Amino acid sequence: MTHGISRRTLLGAAISGGIITPLLAGCGALVPASSGPGALTVHTQISGAVAGAQTFSDVVAAYQRDTARRVALLKNGSDLPIVFETSTLAGKEADVAIVNMMGRTLAWTRLGATVDVGGYLDDWGLRDLIIPEALQEWTDEEGRLRAFPFTRTNWPVSFNTALLEEAGVGIPKTSDELIAAADALRSKGIGPVTVGGSDWSGQKMFLQVMQGFLTEDEARTVFSTGKISETPGAIAGVEHFVELRDAGVFVDNVQGYTSDSELTQFNTRKAAIVPAMSSALALVPAERAAEVTVGGWPKPSSGGVLDHPSVIKSYNGHGIWISENGRKKLDLVKPFVQHLYSPEVTDRFILESGRDMSRVTDTVSKDFPLVAQASRLKDTEVSAVMLPDLLIPDAVFEPMIQATALAYGSASAERIIDAFEKAYQAV
Amino acid sequence: MAQRTVLPLRDRIGSITSGTLAWAYAALLVIPFYYFIVSSFKTNEEIFESPLALPTSIDLSNFTTAIEQADLGLAVANSALTTLAALVLTLLLALPASFALARATGRAGKIVENVFALGFLIPSFAALFPTFLLAAALGLFHTRTFVVFLLPATALPLSIVILTSFMRTIPRELEEAASMDGASSLQVLRQVYLPICVPGIATVLLLNFLSFWNAYLYPLILIGPDTAQRTIQVALPTLKVDAGTDYGVLMAGTLFTLLPVYLVYTLLQRQMQRALLSGAVKG
Repeated sequence: MTHGISRRTLLGAAISGGIITPLLAGCGALVPASSGPGALTVHTQISGAVAGAQTFSDVVAAYQRDTARRVALLKNGSDLPIVFETSTLAGKEADVAIVNMMGRTLAWTRLGATVDVGGYLDDWGLRDLIIPEALQEWTDEEGRLRAFPFTRTNWPVSFNTALLEEAGVGIPKTSDELIAAADALRSKGIGPVTVGGSDWSGQKMFLQVMQGFLTEDEARTVFSTGKISETPGAIAGVEHFVELRDAGVFVDNVQGYTSDSELTQFNTRKAAIVPAMSSALALVPAERAAEVTVGGWPKPSSGGVLDHPSVIKSYNGHGIWISENGRKKLDLVKPFVQHLYSPEVTDRFILESGRDMSRVTDTVSKDFPLVAQASRLKDTEVSAVMLPDLLIPDAVFEPMIQATALAYGSASAERIIDAFEKAYQAV
Repeated sequence: MAQRTVLPLRDRIGSITSGTLAWAYAALLVIPFYYFIVSSFKTNEEIFESPLALPTSIDLSNFTTAIEQADLGLAVANSALTTLAALVLTLLLALPASFALARATGRAGKIVENVFALGFLIPSFAALFPTFLLAAALGLFHTRTFVVFLLPATALPLSIVILTSFMRTIPRELEEAASMDGASSLQVLRQVYLPICVPGIATVLLLNFLSFWNAYLYPLILIGPDTAQRTIQVALPTLKVDAGTDYGVLMAGTLFTLLPVYLVYTLLQRQMQRALLSGAVKG
């Protein structure tokens, strides 16, 4: 009997493995970047395919070259919070984390995983550089500044004016105009509003529509407690959403779409309207961007609280958090953070990556026209509504997305409210 | 001229049905794989517009983007390093253990074998936190070394069960003959058991390779996010973003990580089939 692999081959493979292993381990590139003394470790979510990842890597590389200081970049995507937390338990967390404020990270400063950076604002000369509203949004209820706000998010609505023209309508400013535009678009075989009905993008849209009938205080109460049925404005908001949905404002089968498929539908002219955050607007191809105008979600034709179409405005992009380990290396952290807030660096993020920054700046994106349009929207054109992420308890997030996915199907307003409130009962 | 045997109607229906089912199953596997390959050469728009169409050109830019954005080159080297070292360690531990268990005739051997089998009962997720504490206590947290020791521990129950049952099929007379010629236990293992067990070893290697290469949660937590250390399964998700994922790049990156799996499978599949077949024949 012959075998494809002889004993000699197997032994050879084992020996080769034994030889290759230490050789590979000896390769410079495979030596942990964070292992050297005097290195600042930065754990960042601005990595991989995220807009600005290359700019950030280049900025850090230039910083190391210019200052002869070592910075070790640790990179994760959405799994960063859990990795940072387990590292903290072992006392091996990075000195600085660059991550957004959502879910698990909301508790970091309260639990002592990261430090209140408010005290460094003046010492490091950053207070006047950062937009005051951003500082306010990143400050918790105890007055602790969780992190230095770095990037931010605009969440406007993009209208393909060429498709609207084809259907013989203009950009809708009110819900009645939106319904009329949806009818006209459908008659031309064009999908009206596309959104990720099955994920967080659909959830944001649903909550934005609801805010058309809620004052800011009411919205805060409803999103933190989930008690829609005790707030007439919230009930009206859900009923308004159902009215729009039943009038065919959303594309067919919207319940099954995600944030990725909504953008693709918009980019391929399958749908004329999409609500998308500014980092996603940076990904709209130039050919499509040329026929797009950015604006707000049409305000309710009657009974609402808004003066203009609404836009979600948030300073909750990536923040620069300092860990307990970082507190011991403030001499390394301070110049690095100051460098990130230098005009050259923030300009690079705006110009090269189309990012909206929390730094005070007049620089406007040139190669990302939709991002630039969004940043130029004035209060006289659009009414800002909140991004409710900070108010929604962590445990409610996923159940709420299931409830809002239900809303994009055929559920009645009562059933949606019931599902929404049940999502909060798990807390 | 040889006459063709005509199968009875019932057998023919059975043959057609099983053939159809086999082809349908093959199509179920092939279509997603085809979609996966062609998508890695397309843009998002092409993927969503015409999912099953062939790419308009064989452009490798998605691959280069994926490799650059997620540092996949380093990640593959790290995965190769951890997987290879863990496989060598698994074999070094499992072979002598299985040899001893296969030869054992007393109750002690049976008890030890059952203890190994108990390993199947521990859900890997449940062991995460104690494992994390152990890594931290040993000072091996955020190192590849700990994972190289951990992976064989998770693989030993299955490896020992496979190898022990394989070695039990080897006639005792072969070992007795070698012993009469003065062979030591180690020589019996190396010169009698190992050559006969090659299909079993290949099976263990293949199954463990797939498990080690595809491990995500433990490397994510225990090795960590340092690009110089992180494995391919930890690096790959950085190609997915909240809004506007480039699926062409993501598919290309995933395909890139699958190449080693394909190579190893091609190398070892015949041996594994032989092992399965011999197991079926020998019962």
